[in-house]
Amino acid sequence: MMSTLVRITVSEFCEQEGLSRRTVAELVECDVARPLNEGSAADWQFDATGVHWMKRAIRLQRDFELDWVTVATMIDLLRQRERLLKENQNLRRQLGRFLKSEEH
Amino acid sequence: MEFKDYYKILGVAPDAEKADIKVAYRKLARKFHPDLNPDEGAEASFKEVAEAWEVLKDSERRAEYDELRRYGGRQREGFEPPPGWQSASGQQHHSADFSDFFNEIFGSGFGREPHGAPGGSGFRGQDVEIELPVFLEETVTDASKPVEYELPVIEAGGIRRVKKSLKVTIPAGTADGERIRVKGQGSPGQGDAPAGDLYLHVRLVPHPVFDLKGHNLLVTVPVAPWEAALGAKVTVPTLEGEIKLTVAPGSQSGQKLRVRGRGLSKRDGKGDLYAVLKVVMPPTVDAETEALWQTLATKAAFDPRKEWSKR
Repeated sequence: MMSTLVRITVSEFCEQEGLSRRTVAELVECDVARPLNEGSAADWQFDATGVHWMKRAIRLQRDFELDWVTVATMIDLLRQRERLLKENQNLRRQLGRFLKSEEH
Repeated sequence: MEFKDYYKILGVAPDAEKADIKVAYRKLARKFHPDLNPDEGAEASFKEVAEAWEVLKDSERRAEYDELRRYGGRQREGFEPPPGWQSASGQQHHSADFSDFFNEIFGSGFGREPHGAPGGSGFRGQDVEIELPVFLEETVTDASKPVEYELPVIEAGGIRRVKKSLKVTIPAGTADGERIRVKGQGSPGQGDAPAGDLYLHVRLVPHPVFDLKGHNLLVTVPVAPWEAALGAKVTVPTLEGEIKLTVAPGSQSGQKLRVRGRGLSKRDGKGDLYAVLKVVMPPTVDAETEALWQTLATKAAFDPRKEWSKR
């Protein structure tokens, strides 16, 4: 059985994506991702969700040739959209259990 | 090999200025970018558009492409580059993001390399993200789950998709929308470069009884009008068996009763269960029951719409 690794270190992430530590620091400064641990940037670790949003940010920056502040705003809106869609889906399901649909 | 008409893909004339090509690319990228558009097919469209831009934005590559286009652009299906063709700017790395046409003509050793870090004699394999449906019950304790997915494998002369299956551990307390990384189970790397990773995007399957709010569970509990009025002890399901719940006299429909620690597992404990009361009328009533309701209506003298009459 495969073990699931929840964390990825900043050095592993930089190596995999061919990024500089400075770029990852900018992503953290812009709140695209938050390290799981506090302390020195050299020891940062991220979870898979943080990695997902950083990779999306990097793709958007590269494909649209944007600055990081604009990218961070896009990521913020995308995250909000994802959360609201899920909340809407959950509330609709709850409402469906509560209401009996009937034509009047 | 199919000839790719990059001008047609971007909807621009072959003599278009670079600035106009850029505007066309940005419009189409905005429409099809997979990070902005989750629709099926959007990613494939974006890859075509990005490939066209990759070639046309660079004057040297554009000139090479124009030369090829003049040479054989009309041979749609059976296009072959001129004998001995070699791009001045390309290297012989294949990329799963680009078409066979692009890889054959230019290689992909420049520009938009999605996993930019070369390792060993080639590039690291692509990371792969798939959705993983997980049942609520599987998040209570660490659960082993089979996963099947397809990987793009780059081989000499093209890209092949292979099926792969493995078992992964879903850690207890995994929440909806979380992502799990499985190291080295993405696409194989080129040469002796390492494989990419597999990312599993957890989607909790809608449950027939329970709804979710973070790590809290909600269960809708139907109660009879007299149970709501007089109070009752009702049996309520939880993920770990049934419990007895006390409904207080005078309870309202929609009222929530909190049961601590009966929700989903969290990294640091457990969420709660909320029982939402739903007053349900009996579907049919006999004459005697109707008479009792009538007595109640007279005795109770209750107007639930009293607030409206004040307006």
